[in-house]
Amino acid sequence: MQFDNVVCAFCGCDCDDISVTVENGRITQARNACVLGKTWFLSHSAPAHLPVARIEGKTASLEQGIEAAARYLAQSRYPLIYGLSSTSCEAQRKSVELAEVLGGCIDCCTSVCHGPSGMALQGVGEPTCTLGEVKNRADLVIYWGSNPAESHPRHMTRYAVTPKGMFVPEGRKGRTVVLVDVRRTPSARTADIFLQIRPGKDFEALWALQALANGRELDKAGAAEIGLTLEQLNDLADRMMHCKFGVLFVGQGLTQTRGKHFNTSAAFLLVRALNRHAKFALMPMRGHGNVAGVDNVLAWQTGYPFGVNFSMGYPRFNPGEYTVVDVLSRGEADAALIVASDPAASLPGKAARRLAEIPTITLDAHESETTKIAKVAFATATAGIHAEGTVYRMDNIPIRLRKVLPSNYPSDEEVLSLLLARVKELKAC
Amino acid sequence: MTTLTLKLQPKAPLEGEAITPDNFLGKPAAAIAGLPAMHGNEPALLGDFFQVDGDGSEEIVLVGDLRRVKSIAAGMTRGTVIIQGDAGMHLGAGMRGGEIKVYGNAGDWTGAELAGGKIYIRGNAGHGLGGAYRGSRRGMNRGLIIVDGNAGNEVGAVMRRGVIAVAGNAGDFTGAFMIAGSLIVFGQMGIRAGAGLLRGSIVSLKPAELLPTYRYACTCRPDFLNLIYQKLKREGMSIPDGCATGAYKRYSGDFNRSGKGEILIYDQR
Ligand code: SF4
Repeated sequence: MQFDNVVCAFCGCDCDDISVTVENGRITQARNACVLGKTWFLSHSAPAHLPVARIEGKTASLEQGIEAAARYLAQSRYPLIYGLSSTSCEAQRKSVELAEVLGGCIDCCTSVCHGPSGMALQGVGEPTCTLGEVKNRADLVIYWGSNPAESHPRHMTRYAVTPKGMFVPEGRKGRTVVLVDVRRTPSARTADIFLQIRPGKDFEALWALQALANGRELDKAGAAEIGLTLEQLNDLADRMMHCKFGVLFVGQGLTQTRGKHFNTSAAFLLVRALNRHAKFALMPMRGHGNVAGVDNVLAWQTGYPFGVNFSMGYPRFNPGEYTVVDVLSRGEADAALIVASDPAASLPGKAARRLAEIPTITLDAHESETTKIAKVAFATATAGIHAEGTVYRMDNIPIRLRKVLPSNYPSDEEVLSLLLARVKELKAC
Repeated sequence: MTTLTLKLQPKAPLEGEAITPDNFLGKPAAAIAGLPAMHGNEPALLGDFFQVDGDGSEEIVLVGDLRRVKSIAAGMTRGTVIIQGDAGMHLGAGMRGGEIKVYGNAGDWTGAELAGGKIYIRGNAGHGLGGAYRGSRRGMNRGLIIVDGNAGNEVGAVMRRGVIAVAGNAGDFTGAFMIAGSLIVFGQMGIRAGAGLLRGSIVSLKPAELLPTYRYACTCRPDFLNLIYQKLKREGMSIPDGCATGAYKRYSGDFNRSGKGEILIYDQR
C-alpha cells in the first residue's frame, strides 16, 4: 500500500512530500526522503520487541508501569521533565500540564541546542520569516555554523537553495550561497563562498559585520583576529547590504560555542542592522523534528520557551537555573521524566550520572542509554508513523503528522494522559 | 541580632526570600521560625531548616552551607545580613538598601538588578553578578558590589548605575550591554568585555583582548578612578599599589552602539 504526502518528522525540515510504501505491516520504501529520513522510517517501523512497560528492567503491564511512575513523580520535591523534541505537540501539552501539577521543572532539548536563540530573541527580538519566503524570495542564503548537507539533507534542495521561487525564477542560479564555519564541511561544496573563521570567533565575526553594516570601518588586525581578510569581510557585508532578500541560517556551531546566547544575539543584531539596507531574516536550524513545537507549546502555555519551573505554582523562567544540565548536575532534581530523548547518552557526565541516581522514567520507541538506567521505561508508538499528531517545522509552521502503520503500543500522549490522571489522584490525597 | 543556623541541609532548593531584615524586624525567634519558605514544591517553614535565636533586630547572621538556599535577602531595604558560609543563587537580588556581607562564596545572579545598598563577598561570586534577568532591560541600577575573589561570566550585564569591583578575575562578557556605571576588575577579564557597551566605564588592571569595535583613544589619569579607589579602600578592599595614580589606556566603544563608553586598561609601563 502506498501513502503519499507523508511527513518525515526526523529533522526540523519536516518534509511533507514523502511517499511511503507499506508491505506486510512494515515500511519498505520512503521515496523523496533523504538518507536520514529513510533510516528513520525504516527503523521505526521495524517490529519492536520491547514490553510496553518495564519496572527496574522487569516486564510489567501498562497499568503497573503507570502506578509506579506516578508514585515516583508524586513523591518528588523537584521533578524534572525533559526531552519532548521528537514527540507531538499533543504530548508536549500533556507534559506541561504534568509539570504544573507536579510543581517541577520542564525543559526541552532547546536548552542544549538553540536555547540561546530563544534568549537572544527575548533580548533583541527576532527578525524571521518562513521557509516559503526563503524559497520564493531569497537571493542571498547564508549558513553560519551549520552543516545542512549532513544535518538537514533536504534543506538546500527543498527550501533554501535549488528550488525555483516566484521572485527567484532561476532557482539555484538566482541565489548566492555563503557558508561560514570553523572547518570545511560537506556543505561547502554547494556554497558559492566558503569563509573559514577561527574557532571561537563567531561573535567577533558577527560583531564586525554589524559594524560594517552600521557604516563603521574596521582595521586589518580585527579581521585577522577573526581569521578572515578585511576584503572578505567587506565583500560579505556588501553582499548582505545589497541583496534583495537575505536569510541567515544559524546552527549549533554558533549557539553551542563559547558565548552561546550572546553569539545569537550578535546574529540577531546584525540582521536588525541589515534591515536598514535590505530585507533580511534569520532562522535557527532546529535539529529534531518537533523541537520548534516544544518552544511553541511551552510559550503559549507558560509564557516561556524552555527552562520553566513550577515549584511556586506559577511558571518561572531562568536558563542556567531551571535548565536540564544545571538542575541535574547540581543534584537538585530528585526524579526525572524523559520523553523521547536520550539524555544519558547526550548530556555531560555529571548530569547524566545524576539520572542514574534518581528515579528516571522514560517514554521511548526504542531502547537507549536512558531507558537502560530507567526505573520505569514505557515503550511508545512513534508520532508520524504509528500515531497522528502535530509538529512545528523550524520556521514555526504547524504540520499534521499522519499515521501509516497500526501499533500495539500507546502513543506518548496516551501514556502521559494516564500518568497525569494518576498523579492528580495521588497529589489530591 | 538574629542568628539562623542551618540544622538540616535542604534536599531541594529552598526559597529564602523571607530572610530579610525587613521581615524579621520586631519578630521574636518563634515567629521567625514560623515564616514560610518553599522547599522544592513543598511548603515549609524556616524553622524546619534553621535553628533561630535572637530578638528580631535589624541584623541577621546566617551560619552554614547555604548553597541550596536561594534568594536570601532579596529585595531587602534596610539592616545588615552577614553570612558565615556559602550563599545560594539570587543573594540580594533586587535589594534596595542595607548591607550584605558574605564570608564565603556567593552563587549566580548575586545582586542581580540591585537598586541600592552594598554587597561585600569575601570569596568568589558566580555568573551574572549585578546583572539582569533574561529579557530584562536593566541590570544593577545603584549600589555597590565588592568581590574579593573571582566572578563568573556577565558581571554587570546591562548595568545602569552603581559600582562593581572584583579583586580577582572576571569571566566572559564582563559589562556586556552595560548602559552606564563603573565596573572595575583588578584581575584578568574574560573575552568580549564591554560587548554592546552604551556608556559607562570598565576598568581593568590587566591587559585585555578587546572586540574589533573598540578604538584606542588616549592614555590618561582619570580623577574619578582615584575617588572610587578611595571609596573602595574605606569599604575594606585592598587596592593594588600604583593603580590609583597610574596611567590608563582609554579605548572607546562599543561602536556598534553609541561609542560613548570606555574601557580603561592600566598602563603597566
Ligand atoms: S531533510 Fe529532514 S525531514 Fe526531510 S526527509 Fe531528511 S530527515 Fe526527513
